[in-house]
Amino acid sequence: MTSRTKSLIGFAVAAVVLNLVPTVVDALDAPGFYVTFMFTAFFWIAQSVSWNILTGYSGYFSFGQGAWFGIGVYATGILSVKHGWPFLLALPVGGLLAGFGGLLLGMVVFRLRKQSGEIFALTTLAIAFVLASLARLYSWIDGGRGIFMTGTPLPEFLGDFRTAMFRMTFAVAFLTLLTAFLLYESRVGWGLFAIRDDEQVAHGLGVPIFRYKMLALGTNAFFGGLMGGVWSLQIGFVTVDDVFNIRVPLFVILMAVLGGMKHWIGPAFGAVIIYALTDRLNSAGLEDLNQVIIGGLLIVLVLAVREGIYLRLRTRWKTAMGVFLLSMAVWTVFDLASSLIWDFSYASLITVGVALIPLGRRLDEPAPGTIVEEAKDPSDRSPP
Amino acid sequence: MDDVLNQAIVSGILIGGLYAIMSVGISLTWGVLKIINLAHFSFILLGAYVTYQLSTSWGWDPLLTLIVIIPGGFLAGVIMQMFFELAKVDEFQSLIISFGIFIIFQSLTRTIWSADFRRIATESNRYESMSFFIGDIAIQVAPLVAFLAAVAAAIGMTLLLSRTYFGKAVRAIVDDPEIARAFGIDVRRVAVLLSGLAMAFSTAAGVFIAMFQSLSPNMTFGWLGIVFSVVILGGLGNTVGALGAGVIVGVASGVASTEWGPLTGPLVTFLILIAALLFRPQGLFTRRGST
Repeated sequence: MTSRTKSLIGFAVAAVVLNLVPTVVDALDAPGFYVTFMFTAFFWIAQSVSWNILTGYSGYFSFGQGAWFGIGVYATGILSVKHGWPFLLALPVGGLLAGFGGLLLGMVVFRLRKQSGEIFALTTLAIAFVLASLARLYSWIDGGRGIFMTGTPLPEFLGDFRTAMFRMTFAVAFLTLLTAFLLYESRVGWGLFAIRDDEQVAHGLGVPIFRYKMLALGTNAFFGGLMGGVWSLQIGFVTVDDVFNIRVPLFVILMAVLGGMKHWIGPAFGAVIIYALTDRLNSAGLEDLNQVIIGGLLIVLVLAVREGIYLRLRTRWKTAMGVFLLSMAVWTVFDLASSLIWDFSYASLITVGVALIPLGRRLDEPAPGTIVEEAKDPSDRSPP
Repeated sequence: MDDVLNQAIVSGILIGGLYAIMSVGISLTWGVLKIINLAHFSFILLGAYVTYQLSTSWGWDPLLTLIVIIPGGFLAGVIMQMFFELAKVDEFQSLIISFGIFIIFQSLTRTIWSADFRRIATESNRYESMSFFIGDIAIQVAPLVAFLAAVAAAIGMTLLLSRTYFGKAVRAIVDDPEIARAFGIDVRRVAVLLSGLAMAFSTAAGVFIAMFQSLSPNMTFGWLGIVFSVVILGGLGNTVGALGAGVIVGVASGVASTEWGPLTGPLVTFLILIAALLFRPQGLFTRRGST
C-alpha cells in the first residue's frame, strides 16, 4: 500500500469519526463547549492550512488571509441577509468571490516584470486595508452599520446551531486539508516547491510558474473565503473592525510558522496548539498576557525550531507521542485541571517542549531544516 | 471652497514631514540591512507614550523629551541589531521575529496605558494650540516642527551618507555586503550603528506624534499603510525620497479627506501604496546607479 493510499484511508476514517462527535457529546450529556472548542479549531486549521498552500508551498509570503476571510464573511453575509439567499447557496458564492479576488490580485502581481517576495507581501497587506476602507465607505457592503447574522435560517438536516457549525466548519476544514494533501503529492505541488527554492531555475526547467502560482493563490483565497462565510454565523454581528483586523493574518502566520510550513499538515498542528493555548489563556482572563506569550513563543520557535514542530517531532515521534499520552493521562487521572480541554492544552504545551530539547541527532535522522518528505517520497509514488 | 482646499494642501505638506520621519528608520534598515523591522512601529508608539508620560507626570516640554528618547531609541536599535547578528537570522526570520516583538509591545502598551485615547494635557504642551496665519491659511506649529525636523533629517542623512567614512561604508554595503567586507569594512559594526540611527528616527517620530495627536495602541495599524507607501514611493534607503513621498501621501490623503469625507483618506493612502508597489517598486525618486 502506498503512503498516499494510507493517507486517503486516514482521511476517510477521520471524516467518519469526527462527524460523530456532536452526537456523542450530546449522548454523553457532556458540556457543549467541547463542540465549540473543536469547531473553532477547525476554523483555524482551514485558515492556516489554506494560507500554507500559497506561502508554504510557493514561498510567497502573504499577509492577505484577512482579505480572503473578509470577502467570504461579507459576501455570505450580504447575500444571505440583505438579499435573502439560502445560506448554503451564499456560502460557496462567497468562497468563489474570495478565490476570484485572489486570482485578480495574482493576475496583476504575478505579471510584474520585477518579481519579489516583499512586494507581494506588502501588496497583500494593503489589499486587506483597501477592502476595509471600501466596506466602511459603501452602505451596500457595510457603511458602518454592520450586518446581523444571528437568526439566519439554516437547513434542518444540519441540526441545532452548534452542531451545524461543527458540521460546516468540519466539512470546509476537511476539504482544505484534502486539497492541501493532494496538491502536496501532485505535480503542481512539486512545481510550487521548485518555485519556492528558486523561481528562475524552476522557470528554466519548464515549470509553468505563473499558472501554478495563480492556482496556489486562488486555492488559498477560495478556502479562506469559504471558511470566512461559515464563520460569519459565529461572529453574529459582522462589523468592519471585527472582520478586517490583524487577528486572522497574524494567527495564521503564527500557526503555520509554529507547526511548520514545509509540510502540508504542519499548520494544522500549529493551529490546534495555538488555538488551545489562546483559548485557555482567554478563559483564565489573561487576554493581554496572551499576546505576550504568543509573541515570545513565535520568537523562540523561529530561532530554535526552524522547520516547525511537526517535522521536528516526527523525527522523535515516539518520544513526542509518549510524552503527550503520559501527560494527558496524568492530568486526566489525577484530575489536575477542570476540563478535558485544559488537560489537552497542558499536554500539547508539554509536547511542544519536546521539540525544544536538543536531542543528539542520530546519523539516520535528517538535519533540522531539511525536507524529510521530498527526500524520501519519490520511491513509492507512481509517475503522475 | 478654494481656501479649504489650499488649507488641506498646506496641512498635507506639513503632516508629510511627520510621515517622512516615521518612515526613514524602516526605509534605512530595509534598504541597507535587508531587514523589514516591524518593531519600528512599536518604537514609534513607545516614543509617543513615553513623551506623553514625561509631559504629563513631570511637566516636561514635549520637545525636551527628545534628549531622552533619541538615545533610548538608538540603544534599542543597537541591541536589536546585535541580537539579529548573534542569532544569525535571515530576512524571513527577521520579519517574523520583529512581528513577535510588535505584538508583545502592542499588548504591553495596552496594559500600561490602556486602550483609551491619551493626549498630553494642554498646559504642558504649548505647541498644540500654537498656530499662525499666512494669508488665509493657518499653519499649526506642531506639524511645522515635525516638518522642519524631517527636512533637517533628510539633509543630515544625505551629508552623512555622502561625506563621511560611515556613509561610504553604508553605500558599499548596499552595493554588495560581501565585497564591502572583503575591502575591510566592519559590516557588523556599521549595521549595528545604522540600526541604532534608524530606531532613533522612529522613536523621535513618536515625540512629534504625541505633540498633536491623541494616542491609542491601535494607531499602529493605521500607520502601516502610510509608512509602507512612503517607504516604497520614496525608494528603499532614500531619506530625501522619503520626504518627497511623505509630502505626496500627506497631500493626497489630506485632500481626499476634505473633498470626499474623512473615510477616503486611508483608502487613498493604500491605493497609493498598491500603485507604487505595482508600477514603481524602486521608488519615484531613484535614479539609476544611486542608492
